[in-house]
Amino acid sequence: MKKYLGIITLSVATLFTSCSDQLDRFPVDSLVEETAYNTVEDLQFGLNGVIGSYSTNYIIGFNSIFTDNTQLGVDSGGQDRALHEQILNADTGGFSFGDAGVLWFNRYSVINDINRLFEAAATITPSDDDLDQYNNILAQNYAFRALAHYELLLYYGLDLTSDTALGVPYVDYVSEDATPARNTVGEVLIGVQNDLDQALSLFPAGTNDINFATPDFVTFLRARIALETGDNAGAIAAVNALIPNYPLANAAEYFDMFNEDASKTEVIFNYDNVQGADSGINFVWNFSGQGPKFEISNELFNAYSPDDIRRSVILDPVSDVAENVLVVGKYPINADTQAINDFKYMRISEAYLIRAEAYAKTTQFGLAAADVLAVQTARRGSPPPAISYGSLIEAIEGIIAERRLELAFEGHRYTDIKRVRSITGDGINRDISIDDCGGSIPCELPATSPKFILPLPTGELNGNPVIREQQAPGY
Amino acid sequence: MKLKLTWLMTLFMAFVMQLSFAQEKTVTGTVTSATDGLPLPGVSVIVKGTSRGVQTDFDGNYSIKASTGETLVFSFVGMKTSEQKIGQGSTLDLAMAEDLAELETVVITGYAGATNSSKITSALATVDAESIEQVPISSVDQMLQGQAAGVNVSTGSGQPGQSATIIIRGRNSLNGDTEPLFIIDGVPVDQDNFRSLNQNDIATMSVLKDAAATAIYGNRGAGGVILITTKTGKKGSGVKVQYRSLFGVSEVPNPKFDVMNAQQFLTFQRDLLPGTTQYGDGLNDAEIAAIARQSNTNWADIFLRQGKTRSHEVSVTTGGENSSSFTSVNYFNQEGTTLGSELQRFSFRNNFNASSSDNKLNFSTTLTANYSVSDFVVDAVRGANTGGQLDNPFIVPYIGLPYLSPYNPDGSINIFGTGPRGEGGSGAYDANGNIDFNNVDGFQNTPFIALNTAALGTDQEAEIKIVGRIAADYNFAKNLTAGVSFGIDYTNEERLFINPPGSIRSFRTPTDASEFKGTQFESFYRDANFISNVFVRYDNNITEKLNLNAAVFAEYNYANTQIASLQAFGLNPALPTSGAGFTDGNTTEGDDADEYNYIPSVGSSESELALASVFATLDLDYDNRFGVSASIRNDATSRFIENRDGVFWSVSGRWNLDNESFMENVDWLSTLKLRASYGVVGNQGVGTRYQGLQTVISGSGYQLGNSYQLGTLIDPAIQWETSNQFNLGLSFGLWQNRLSGELDVYDNLTTDLFANKLLSAAGTGSTSVTTNVADMSNKGIDLQISYDLLRKSATNDWSITLNANGNYNKNEVESLPGEFTGNTLRIAEGYSANTWFDVRWAGVNPANGEPLYLDVDGNLTNVYDPNNRVYLDKNFDPTYTGGFGADISYKGFALNALFSFQADRWKRNSSLALIEDSSLGSNLNLSTTMLDAWTTPGQVTAIPALSFGGLRAQSGDRYLEDASFLRLRNISLSYNVDKKVLEQTGVFTGIRVFVQGTNLVTWTKFRGFDPEGTVASTFFEYPVARTFSLGFDLTF
Repeated sequence: MKKYLGIITLSVATLFTSCSDQLDRFPVDSLVEETAYNTVEDLQFGLNGVIGSYSTNYIIGFNSIFTDNTQLGVDSGGQDRALHEQILNADTGGFSFGDAGVLWFNRYSVINDINRLFEAAATITPSDDDLDQYNNILAQNYAFRALAHYELLLYYGLDLTSDTALGVPYVDYVSEDATPARNTVGEVLIGVQNDLDQALSLFPAGTNDINFATPDFVTFLRARIALETGDNAGAIAAVNALIPNYPLANAAEYFDMFNEDASKTEVIFNYDNVQGADSGINFVWNFSGQGPKFEISNELFNAYSPDDIRRSVILDPVSDVAENVLVVGKYPINADTQAINDFKYMRISEAYLIRAEAYAKTTQFGLAAADVLAVQTARRGSPPPAISYGSLIEAIEGIIAERRLELAFEGHRYTDIKRVRSITGDGINRDISIDDCGGSIPCELPATSPKFILPLPTGELNGNPVIREQQAPGY
Repeated sequence: MKLKLTWLMTLFMAFVMQLSFAQEKTVTGTVTSATDGLPLPGVSVIVKGTSRGVQTDFDGNYSIKASTGETLVFSFVGMKTSEQKIGQGSTLDLAMAEDLAELETVVITGYAGATNSSKITSALATVDAESIEQVPISSVDQMLQGQAAGVNVSTGSGQPGQSATIIIRGRNSLNGDTEPLFIIDGVPVDQDNFRSLNQNDIATMSVLKDAAATAIYGNRGAGGVILITTKTGKKGSGVKVQYRSLFGVSEVPNPKFDVMNAQQFLTFQRDLLPGTTQYGDGLNDAEIAAIARQSNTNWADIFLRQGKTRSHEVSVTTGGENSSSFTSVNYFNQEGTTLGSELQRFSFRNNFNASSSDNKLNFSTTLTANYSVSDFVVDAVRGANTGGQLDNPFIVPYIGLPYLSPYNPDGSINIFGTGPRGEGGSGAYDANGNIDFNNVDGFQNTPFIALNTAALGTDQEAEIKIVGRIAADYNFAKNLTAGVSFGIDYTNEERLFINPPGSIRSFRTPTDASEFKGTQFESFYRDANFISNVFVRYDNNITEKLNLNAAVFAEYNYANTQIASLQAFGLNPALPTSGAGFTDGNTTEGDDADEYNYIPSVGSSESELALASVFATLDLDYDNRFGVSASIRNDATSRFIENRDGVFWSVSGRWNLDNESFMENVDWLSTLKLRASYGVVGNQGVGTRYQGLQTVISGSGYQLGNSYQLGTLIDPAIQWETSNQFNLGLSFGLWQNRLSGELDVYDNLTTDLFANKLLSAAGTGSTSVTTNVADMSNKGIDLQISYDLLRKSATNDWSITLNANGNYNKNEVESLPGEFTGNTLRIAEGYSANTWFDVRWAGVNPANGEPLYLDVDGNLTNVYDPNNRVYLDKNFDPTYTGGFGADISYKGFALNALFSFQADRWKRNSSLALIEDSSLGSNLNLSTTMLDAWTTPGQVTAIPALSFGGLRAQSGDRYLEDASFLRLRNISLSYNVDKKVLEQTGVFTGIRVFVQGTNLVTWTKFRGFDPEGTVASTFFEYPVARTFSLGFDLTF
């Protein structure tokens, strides 16, 4: 009996130890983090991941569907309708193109990727041959971290014009359990400016690929920040630095810019969509075959004068104006038929209008009018009538109206209305007399509505008890 | 087990009694069954007190040397053991009586095999062959519906072969595997794939429900275990050949909703629906009447069909002196209830058992090899589908426009559509009769898109499935047995998906502008699961009353899964399915010849999972009155890194009150046993196979450059979920077990539940990491009861047995980080998992037709505000499940009925919500209820004024419906031809003919095709079919 027990014990022990070698199994389809990054080329792969997941559609979609730039499309099957109905709470986070709170989650996910890439880069010492590429990767990383934080601040911050108001968490670390509070707007802006300084110091000489961050990208972003934060002089100075380098596109160039991506005349930063890595901007409003979920609002369409090239650009050829079917065509299906279009993230015409607004806010109405006229002149077939502004409100209304025409479906309408609503007193007004609203589609969002600040999404509140106490007012 | 015990007993007696007698003579005789008079082969005949013993042969005859005055002991499973004293004669015939208590009570448990039920300490339920065989349900897991207490079976689709979702004693995991471990003849198999297996091969299914039975399965047992045992031959039973056949037709259940006909719809568009550009707006009554006369299509009639089922099977059972076998071949073909949905399979099985003549060495093999081909439609639950695909055949009966004709002028089915929308067409063609590529895949063309895909598309899976095991055990020393086994579950699937050129779905594939169209996708999936096991068992009667059975095991499981795929574009229609017809990937097109439209894509992937275990069991029995069982298992899995080893255990006990002396005189009580068990079981089915490793995903990123990105954030300390299970049970049998049953109460607490530990997205980049953080309990009652109203006897031809089983389960999420997850369907602390949370719809204001809601405080409001959502005390998982039925037989006739039910179960009816969404009324057909939309002040109606537009996004709980159901799951009437008639044929030993109805009637409040389903928000799923079948079994 004892003999048998001995044999049994021995054989079980043998079997068991031989099995435990069999238990170390590693995936074949993915890498393990500890060993993934070894070369500068690996870091480049990491950067491709960072920029590739920097989503642009949320901003583009939200600014048009939530506002007065769209109306319900003839082919609507109810998609994103709640957003058009301006139903906005912590659970929706403002967007219905994906999970709740997508802008917040996307930007912080990208920021996390960026911070992890910094950590990986710190373990790699580049050779002299690789040094420029290495530095450029770091510079890109800083620039996109700045852009991401600025956009978060723009949508979720409580008041960009006040340094002491609550902003969003500024995150430059990797953590598995951090629960940051909102930083103040001032703190975030300091972080953003530092990142931009770092980027500038790291860009290798001659960095000018508009598909990536460049020194001009940094300057442009600083212009936007300055305008939003009320630093009008800063905005004017930044724009002044850019304008000499970038001509305004003429009508033909403007058309080409939004058709086949055939012209990049005035583009400062171009988010490059290619076949296989395309964010499919067109499909924010349209089904394949251009059946519209959402159409251009009648109000917006009517605002273009017939000789305005921008009217031809935003209206897709499949539209039927007589039947009032106004299909968004700014990102057309093109000859490849797949509607692969770059997102022109930063264009010089916006810089003109930034400067115009900064001039207006510093009561330099003449200069403001000149900048607006410059844009109009470039877009219209015949010379536009002269412009003069007699008051701040008149100037701002004129500039915002021009921004609406120039930057339609490029992710600005909501933040434009938000930025100047204290001056104009206007919220989002849709025109019921021309069927842009009605029924469950609201016609007015008052300027005082809390919906001009996006709610912190429930997903963040649940995981972060610190920030839970800092939800935006009204949610 | 039974055999082994008998044998041990024999050995035991041999050592105790060393007596011998003179005057031996040869006693011969025939043993028959008292019930039917047929000879009983394999009956053990032993001279009492000696080691002399024989078995009866095929004809029930035996011959044994014995002396006058000695006693012969006749024993046979299922029969009352009988002792007969040898008189002067040399012939001793015996008619053995059935032991009714014994007959129902051999049950299959985990590693111990067949065990007498009086010795069972755990909670388990057994389903045997009779209720499974020849039922035209083509996935064996579905068969369990309504059959066993505490086993909740739901099926997500009516696709033939669709695997069911089984939850035993309540949902025990939130994000991990909730289904039980399935083991077929000792081999763990894929729990979601049974379509290739022939259910007629099954002898029994045992459902192990508590830790006493499942802890021995360690970190895979928390969801329960289902043991499937296939048929074997009986030793000494001779050769039996059986041919079985089944023919059936299936159809979808009657829908519980109505859509408008052509006249209603066009009038509705014109008179009620706001807007002026719908087709109906421009028509007068006469024109509408003319159109409705021309084509008034009920699209359900076009899409739904009667699917045929055919099954042919030959099985051969043999039983020799030392070996037995079971062999079957089966062809099974089942068509779904819509065009293009089908399962065909060819199944083969051979089970073989052999023992050495001294019974010390046992050897068995089980092997089934199967080939099946499944053809799929665009099924809501298949792949990435949502149900909203316009080529889903089950969306069409809802939204297909009734004024469109399904026919071409020549009477054939139109699979492209009709002319421009404005002229009453479906938009497939423009005014010149050319395909309108912009509208051919639009909403209005829905029915034709679906017909087109059904007619031209291919979505097929061909599968080879092999499950086999070789096992041997050897009684190498006194009381000691060692055994070894190897098993495999092998699945090879080849998927073929084709969008052929010329089909509507090919018009945009690969691109709108490409010259060549269409795509072909193929994938190859191979999943192999190996198991090897060795054990040593010690079994000894330590004293006359105390039996000890202990065993130690070592086991190694290894799973390897490989997937490869290819997708090509631009097919040559002359070379269907062949690579020769693929357009070369280097082909360029476009003005500058720089567009690559046909670049094929390929993929390949592999994953592994290994599990090494040692475990032991201990069973003590004292005088058949008390028993204690214990098990312990150490599982080490490759899935976890930091917490690799888990220890799982159970202890259980029983008290067989019926065997107590003080119960001897209680005649009405035949069986009474108290059971109790407690144990800890695990669930390692959480996350991916590499859940313990932080991965970096390689893919393509910006500008299609190679990219690295962090995979899903993981917790390196992840481990199994732990289920702490307590069970208290009572087994009872009254009046000769006329009334018998099992009553169990259980209290299970799952801790370390795999759930989202909520993180700050700002701080970590992720909103959550899935790890062991939550707790959930399931408390409930299982009752299984059976009553023999009438028993067949010499004077009574009737037999009536009523049976019922039911489960009440109370699930509660005990703790969850962040208190809840989900939006309107929530996992929330203090509530059942999958509880609904929504704004309460309060109907329509009769004054102005506006929708009304209740706010948080229950006050009426006309504003839809998500902040008014409340917990509705309605959950998706049913609180009550079960079944009941009757088995009635009279002479050769038998009527068997089974009802199944699920109650207190709530689903969102998003299908109905779609056809009550007026904003879709210009493109899609709507429910007839929309004709009652509010128009006049004072009007009381459920449908708001249409001027409020589509309210689907603001419907709150309006479409939350009670999806409880009672279903006549199966009813069959059969006739067994009388034995006397059979004898005259000289060919047959059995003929059975039957007619049968499956899912014949369903009673429910749910307004759709089928309340069952597996998704909480129903959206045009493929309903489970009603099937009528008839068949016959011929035994030679």
